[in-house]
Amino acid sequence: MSLPIIDVPSARPWPPRISAFTKPFWDALMQGRLITTRGKRSGRLTFPPKPFCPHDWGREVEWVELSGRGKLYSQTVIHAAPAAFAGEAPIRNGIVDLNEGLRVAARIVGKPALDAAMECVVLRYTDGPLFAFRAIEP
Amino acid sequence: MTRRVAVIGGAASPNGKLQTPADAPLQTLEHEILAPLVIDAMATARLPKEEVDALVFAMCRPYTLQKYFATFMANYLRLPLKGTIMEVLGNGMTGGMAFDAAVNTVALGHADVALALGINMESQVTAADHAMSTMRATGDVDFHTIFGFTPIAWYAMDAVRYMHEFGAARAELASVAVKDRRHARLNPIAQFRKPLSLEEVLAARPIVEPLGLYEVPPRGDGAVCLVVCAEEVAKAAGTPYALVRGRGFVHEGAHQISEVPSDMTAFVAAQGAAAAAYRSAGIRPTDLDLAELYAPCGIVQVLAGEALGLTPRGRGAAQAAAGETALGGRIPICTSGGCLSRGHPAYVTGLLTIYELWEQLTHRAGERQVRNARLAAGSCELGNYNAALIHILEAVP
Repeated sequence: MSLPIIDVPSARPWPPRISAFTKPFWDALMQGRLITTRGKRSGRLTFPPKPFCPHDWGREVEWVELSGRGKLYSQTVIHAAPAAFAGEAPIRNGIVDLNEGLRVAARIVGKPALDAAMECVVLRYTDGPLFAFRAIEP
Repeated sequence: MTRRVAVIGGAASPNGKLQTPADAPLQTLEHEILAPLVIDAMATARLPKEEVDALVFAMCRPYTLQKYFATFMANYLRLPLKGTIMEVLGNGMTGGMAFDAAVNTVALGHADVALALGINMESQVTAADHAMSTMRATGDVDFHTIFGFTPIAWYAMDAVRYMHEFGAARAELASVAVKDRRHARLNPIAQFRKPLSLEEVLAARPIVEPLGLYEVPPRGDGAVCLVVCAEEVAKAAGTPYALVRGRGFVHEGAHQISEVPSDMTAFVAAQGAAAAAYRSAGIRPTDLDLAELYAPCGIVQVLAGEALGLTPRGRGAAQAAAGETALGGRIPICTSGGCLSRGHPAYVTGLLTIYELWEQLTHRAGERQVRNARLAAGSCELGNYNAALIHILEAVP
């Protein structure tokens, strides 16, 4: 499945560094897919993706696609933003508990209520993607 | 070997703006502020300079020009040492860890007298520029910082969740700032001492919603020196002291946020550290006469107070509003005025916590003295209370 994509006509204020290991994550996001790693031995997901399983230190992991669906656990609007984010302030960021049992912090689009059903969206900036969440329209 | 350790002296600068603009013709220098505090602190301890065996510094902010500040100060103060000398860093826990390391050095017998000290200078750096540094401390640079999260943004999300789950009223949460200001008005080293009303707190411009200007920590500078020694040294000196009765520490193995969904506002590290501290001291939370909590925002004071068992879960804000955590109340919290009004020069805040407890337990706290204060708890933390370090101190007249 492909996540909704929202174009943002600017560069990311603080672009992530990309490693050989995290490149698949960002490449997939650019294509509308939210992925992470799962420990092959533990069977447990982690986020952000890691080249090992933090739960049992198993060295073998596999990439899996996430639904991007979950519930809004909390949120805030940051008015006093770091200098690099002055152009985006005020910024609404929040925490989403994904249906797969992962807690993720990200940008929030719109003004959802707590515990609202959320979906992941891709913010396609001019220099690359960020992930965000918005309320699922009923 | 381990032995009993006492806090026997202290001195602190006023909190606020100590740092000078880069282009000021006359500059304030860190060592010129801190050295007199060392002399003052040793005077309160009634110990001679030659007794000092160890220096444990809270690391300076990167804005301090002098590097290797600890050994520079050993020279500036002409202090030969046979215990240890170090600078520690642990984000918000920095000052608390400096105290902890000084206590350990004495407990292990490496030093009979150790100073835990530091100076935090940052007020000339704008909040937006300072946040460019702190945003990289609170989460994963490549997966969280990219969204512009700041340290207090996480506390704001605690507040949102807490009010949602427990039905705490916005005004109850805001009352913490009003209570802290009342305490700070009685504290000569407090950064803010003008009266502050609930209406002003609620009407303040938003910083990280729902928290406004008076519910987030002020930017500021501060310096403090504590004298820690073996209990027998304190007894021989004949100076009143506070005994380190207990200690607890937990880090939950999460940096700002756990990817495993959990009860974020429970502050499990503080719960665990408090349980360990109470156990090692052989006390219960109800035995405490006061607590000085590391709480950069009002919500953090509420949640940490609950985690330490000072107020019931979900009731901390309501009990603050009811005056139970104010001076004269059931369990006074942050009698110094706390981070919000005493000030929050972050790397030495943990030292200021112990300074307040020492003042209270040796009955030097003046108008804000908790009557018959005997047992007190101090906490410090890092992240979103992902780690907590708690000390229990006891008055020994």
